[in-house]
Amino acid sequence: MKSRLILLPVLALALLGVVLGPIGAKLLGFERLIDAPAVHLAPQKIFAIGGFTVTNTLLSAWLTCIVILLLFGLGSRRMAMVPGRLQGFLEMLVEALYGFIKGMAGERYARRWFPLLATIFVFVAFNAWMALLPIYPTVGFKAEGADHVTTHLLRSAGTDINMPLALALIAFVFIEVWGFRVHRFGYLKEFFRFGNPVQTFIGLLELISHFIRIISFTFRLFGNMLAGEIVLFMMTFLTFFVTPIIFYGLEILVGGVQALVFMGLTLVFAVLAVAPHEGHKEEHAEAGQH
Amino acid sequence: MLAAPRLAEEATGIGALGIDPWSLLAYLVTFGLLVVLLYTLAYKRILGVLDARSGRIRDSLEEADRVRQEAQEQQEAMQRTLLEGREEGQRVLAEAREAAERYREQQATQARAEAAQLVERARDEIRQERDAALEQVRSEFAGLAVSAAERIIHRSLDPDAHRDLIDEVLAEGDAQAGRN
Repeated sequence: MKSRLILLPVLALALLGVVLGPIGAKLLGFERLIDAPAVHLAPQKIFAIGGFTVTNTLLSAWLTCIVILLLFGLGSRRMAMVPGRLQGFLEMLVEALYGFIKGMAGERYARRWFPLLATIFVFVAFNAWMALLPIYPTVGFKAEGADHVTTHLLRSAGTDINMPLALALIAFVFIEVWGFRVHRFGYLKEFFRFGNPVQTFIGLLELISHFIRIISFTFRLFGNMLAGEIVLFMMTFLTFFVTPIIFYGLEILVGGVQALVFMGLTLVFAVLAVAPHEGHKEEHAEAGQH
Repeated sequence: MLAAPRLAEEATGIGALGIDPWSLLAYLVTFGLLVVLLYTLAYKRILGVLDARSGRIRDSLEEADRVRQEAQEQQEAMQRTLLEGREEGQRVLAEAREAAERYREQQATQARAEAAQLVERARDEIRQERDAALEQVRSEFAGLAVSAAERIIHRSLDPDAHRDLIDEVLAEGDAQAGRN
């Protein structure tokens, strides 16, 4: 009975949102209350320091970094054996991520890889989640003559291709450096296989696939974050109230999943890079026999 | 027709994405700094506490196992001691019974020996008394026999010679009595 009392006004509000939105305007024949949202593929300039342009996505990334550092800094300032709520939350997060990395890479690499991989997760997830705050789509600047915000002060850094690209480059370098560090010059045998034309072709494909990872890493994150932003804009524009909440919930999930996918793929590729290769297996076997 | 989201920029293709080397560099630096700061400020401490806690839990579990094992060993030792005590008690009791039996037998034997000794002594005394009485009777009988013989023959006899004769007769009588 109590749930019905809550559900009915919520449904009424959702219906009112649809009626007042562009669907209602079209069906009932009245003027739309708000304009269609503008989608910006590229980030927008907020200010410039010398020749360096600070965009709304970069500003958001910095703000996110400050929030992350405050959260982790305050949470781990006085570490106690019996943790408080914030310390407990951070410990839970760190333990879960460490367990995930250790489960795939083993104890040997988990400690060394953890700082970078955990930061990838935290940075991607918090950038996505921070963008769900109401100040993101509402605070900004109006262009001359415009009656609504045309340049948002803050925008999810994930929607700026430079951010996923930077992370993809870092992941790429991390993977290749570890592969080279473990196998030395033997690592290059994966890519440069001479003698057999088929093997040479496979090596070339392997080399290309490693570079393709930069693009796949970049566009997976960029596409998901941008699509999420557009979905939120459109659902808010079309339905006004209540319904967008469902999509906000979905975006919380998407942010976490994308962060986990980015970190997980980096981890998987790194594990593959340090794993013994065919040639190395033979070398290891020979070394074992001797 | 419903309003569709519109692209704000005029640029098309890859240029519309806004790839910018300086922004890229800014993100690289930002992320690099974040990794360093998070590692220094948080990860090291949190992982340290997690390690310390897991170490403490492991130690506590080992300690609990050790204490449990010790308690079990103590219980076993106690049961062993109880069993040994019970066996020792039974052994002592058996020894006491045996000693008591031995003492009783010893006392009985001693009493029997003393009784036999007393009987023997009594017999000796009786025998001595009897011998003394016999001696006295014999002496008196010899004297009587001599005086009787003197009265019969009315003459004096050598008492010593007669006495030897009488003793000889009596000894023969004793020997005959011993044979019978």
